[in-house]
Amino acid sequence: MPRITSAAQFLPYILFCGAILAVPSIVSDPFLLNKFARYLALGLAAAALALSWGYCGILNLGQGVGFGLGAYAMAMHLKLKTSPVHTGTAGLPDFMVWNNLDHLPWFWQPFHSGLFALAAAVLLPALVAALLGWFMFRARIAGVYVAIITLAMLAVTNLLFVDQQAYTGGLNGITDLAWFEMGGVEFDPYSPAFYYLSAGCLAFFLMLGMVFTRSKAGLVLRAIGSGTDRVLFFGYDMASYQCLAFSLSASMAGVAGMLYAMVLEFASPTFMGVPISLSMVIWAAVGGRGSLLGATVGAILVNGTQGSLSETFLDSWQLILGALFILVVVFLPNGIAGLANSLGARLSGRARGMAARSAAPSALLNRR
Amino acid sequence: MTLTRRHFLKSAAIAGAAGTAASPQFWIKNSGMAWAAGKEIKVGVLFSLTGTTAVVEKSLHNATLMAIDEINASGGINGMKVVPVIEDPASDPATFAEKANKLVLNDRCATVFGSYTSASRKAVLPVFEKRKNLYWYPTLYEGRECSKSVIYTGAVPNQQQKEFIPWLVRNFGKRFYLVGSNYIYPKEENNVCKILLKELGGEVVGEEYVPLGHSEFGSVLNKFRETKPDVIFSTVVGDSVIALHKQYKAAGFSPDRMPMASLTTSEVEIAAMGGEYAAGHFTSAPYFMGHESAENAAFIEGYQRRFGKDSVTHFVSEAAYFQVHLFRQAVEKLGTGDITPTNIRDAAGGQEIKAPQGRVKVDADTLHCYLWPKIGQAQANGQFKVIQQSADWVKPEPYWAYPGLSCTRDGLKGA
Amino acid sequence: MDILLSQLFTGLSIGSVLLLVALGLAIIYGAMGVINLAHGEFVMLGAYATWLLQSTLGLSLLPCLFLVFLMVAAAGWAVERTVVRFLYRRPLDTILATWGVGIMLQQAVRLAAGADLRYVETPNPLSGSIDLAGVAIPSYRLFVLAFAAALLGVTWFVVQRTEFGMKLRAVTQNREMASCTGIDSARVFSLTFAFGSGLAGLAGALVAPIKSVAPDMGTNFVVDAFMVVVVGGVGSLFGTVASSGLLGGGTAGFAFLLNDTLAKALVFLGVIVLVRFRPQGLFAATGRR
Repeated sequence: MPRITSAAQFLPYILFCGAILAVPSIVSDPFLLNKFARYLALGLAAAALALSWGYCGILNLGQGVGFGLGAYAMAMHLKLKTSPVHTGTAGLPDFMVWNNLDHLPWFWQPFHSGLFALAAAVLLPALVAALLGWFMFRARIAGVYVAIITLAMLAVTNLLFVDQQAYTGGLNGITDLAWFEMGGVEFDPYSPAFYYLSAGCLAFFLMLGMVFTRSKAGLVLRAIGSGTDRVLFFGYDMASYQCLAFSLSASMAGVAGMLYAMVLEFASPTFMGVPISLSMVIWAAVGGRGSLLGATVGAILVNGTQGSLSETFLDSWQLILGALFILVVVFLPNGIAGLANSLGARLSGRARGMAARSAAPSALLNRR
Repeated sequence: MTLTRRHFLKSAAIAGAAGTAASPQFWIKNSGMAWAAGKEIKVGVLFSLTGTTAVVEKSLHNATLMAIDEINASGGINGMKVVPVIEDPASDPATFAEKANKLVLNDRCATVFGSYTSASRKAVLPVFEKRKNLYWYPTLYEGRECSKSVIYTGAVPNQQQKEFIPWLVRNFGKRFYLVGSNYIYPKEENNVCKILLKELGGEVVGEEYVPLGHSEFGSVLNKFRETKPDVIFSTVVGDSVIALHKQYKAAGFSPDRMPMASLTTSEVEIAAMGGEYAAGHFTSAPYFMGHESAENAAFIEGYQRRFGKDSVTHFVSEAAYFQVHLFRQAVEKLGTGDITPTNIRDAAGGQEIKAPQGRVKVDADTLHCYLWPKIGQAQANGQFKVIQQSADWVKPEPYWAYPGLSCTRDGLKGA
Repeated sequence: MDILLSQLFTGLSIGSVLLLVALGLAIIYGAMGVINLAHGEFVMLGAYATWLLQSTLGLSLLPCLFLVFLMVAAAGWAVERTVVRFLYRRPLDTILATWGVGIMLQQAVRLAAGADLRYVETPNPLSGSIDLAGVAIPSYRLFVLAFAAALLGVTWFVVQRTEFGMKLRAVTQNREMASCTGIDSARVFSLTFAFGSGLAGLAGALVAPIKSVAPDMGTNFVVDAFMVVVVGGVGSLFGTVASSGLLGGGTAGFAFLLNDTLAKALVFLGVIVLVRFRPQGLFAATGRR
């Protein structure tokens, strides 16, 4: 597989990023901006999944762990910024007062700092993923066993967050949050400023992901995705590469979760639930798991469709949505990106080579 | 090549950001529009029609729409038709927030009726508080909230427990086992229960929380067997209620010697387990379908005519029903030009209405309701027999367990 | 002592429900490599089918069982023919497609069965409890335990001793080779999927009287069942039994000593460690995984 760094590969990414950054100059309705910012955050979560799943075959059913940790890290900071009367002495968060805590637990202390919260939202998911990844990949666990372990991990995390109510707010999560503030800018989730934050993060990580997957490490990862034996025979330390991709993906999910908590103004254990984690897999599959951009677009499309379907077909929208998923999975195995790729390739005449190349990672990883 | 492109992108982004953030027009866009346009007033209806809690929320949805129907059939409010905007939040807090946003910002609803779970109420609160809109919440809940953007028509702990616990101690004994689902509502109800028990010289022999949706009660039942309490005080919610009752009976326990006293078991749960499993156990709530009053007879008749003759009403659907009528009374007091969510809220304070449970009133300070707590014993036919009703309506005290704190018109005071 | 005994029984009965639900999944996953996330919905369909039969025909639980098996098996067959058969070469994609199937089934049932919750009656002679060495044991749980064991026996017999089972094992080991010998592998897979779904339906019928019947009841089962199958070892019926017992007993034991939330978390952690060190499962079957 030759190294691909042609401009053509970057063009769709640049167009997409330009497009999302241009949105606020056309749309000024705060409701729409808020909605789009939310979709972009979910798009980032889907791109994160595509990075580990599409590129190196790690099917992470527990993507909600990173997403949720990011969301809680930010929510903890924003919670500490609100100090209305009912938080009791010294600005203790309300749910701690109700759970009879009398002082802030030590691990909440550093979250007074916004920078620390940001760092935690990025690094904490990566750390957890690195530990879990190291634990799994050293033993060459792959395929469906990765899916099971990540799923169990998700269940454990969720149970613990629901159980430790005094520290996490339990089932209600952390609610009643302030707006994030950094460098004198207040990120009201209905403002263009917040939209730019969301779009900027997405654009940054799409570009970073693109560069990463085209790097040497990315090449090794894609080789792992299409068949592990060769990589081992060449003497690569496969587990380290897998850990790297797994952690980077978790980190991106953490940022996505952080944005999600900011835009919704609460963090909830449903953010690290099975339904949202499986949804992310679906978004990536619909958009095209083999492409970061495809997965992003998939997430935006599915959420947009879901929103409007549920308004029109009040109680039958889930039937339609389920049917759409099935159709996409059965007939478009490489998702919308796959479709676009083969169409594009056919149109440009350079058909065969391109199509084969872009379809390769995902088609191969499905082989048993 | 790539570098230059990314450079370009970056500067384009910054230019764009600077350009748009400077213009303030996105703030003003909606502010000129009226809340009641022409002969219509829009209200949001936000109950899950799909997902985990859809079964219960569907009944709240039904009761709300029925009340809206009744209002429109009798000529609307001051000649205005009430137009419900229905959304399905799919039992998911994030979707609740999304849909609330849409109802408030996009559809310009003057008020929204919605939510069953505390988690979903918490999720929509920022939308209503920051956008100065009004939410009507029909469910009994843990209290300790003093929002000026929510009108609470369900019971708070002091209303459900203050007469119930002494009654249980008198009739069955002082040793309580507390079992609940693992979240804030059961924990808070149990806090209140423990305070009351302490005053009465009672004793808590065990306290247990099970995960939501839990359906294997074997280990919990074994703990009952070991501690032999006089009363099982249950705040288990949802499907777990059904599993608990079924397995309780199958394990050979009987309500005659060790009854379950619940704050959460309603006609809905009993219909889902079969009357024989619930028979003999007790619930404290402001409303039971078996309560005898002219208003209740009319409510049940209307509900069953619309939604099937075997459908049941319960203490949350009753609140979902009468709160819409409270809303009507509040809006009736306002001129068309004065209709804003804040004015509706202010007008609602002090409103009284003859609800199916009895005459209820919105407390102007707390925005919670004066209600009529009752103790009901479940019968094999799936209904509750009301065996005691409080002598007077009971004032809502959302901060009852927190001396020194009180909810007032200007927000929370004290401490 | 009494408590120990009834705690042991609690563990066994949780295990028996796990086994019931996991059995169908073990067959489908073990033989076909299909990860069926709609398995929980087949359990739910079984519960609703039982409710339907009870409320319309007035049948008691036991006579329902056979009909329920057939009804849910038919549903499974339809799902296999319309969706799953396109995905045999992409097993991980079955996760996605069957999840879509699950969403649809849930909402379809929610719309069809109406807004109210439904319930299934416990057959009268089994509604009480019996006294065993001074411990009250719910007789219905005992019945479920026995039924799970019987069903295991039947499944073992079908797979190991019938002609269909032989074909199934052949197709499982090598589909192309089996086809060469004249086995209609597509038909074998359809029937296997139907059989596994039917087993899920039976599980639904049997758990309905102890739990609640709701459109989303299946989601709680499918994750647990999946863990059971993987821990037990794919393709090994004996492994599935052992891991049902292990996970059931573990859950009950931790729940008694600590609480139910921590018990679940600990059991999941145990699963992670087990899968890490024995990805082939406690009892791995030989041949193709």
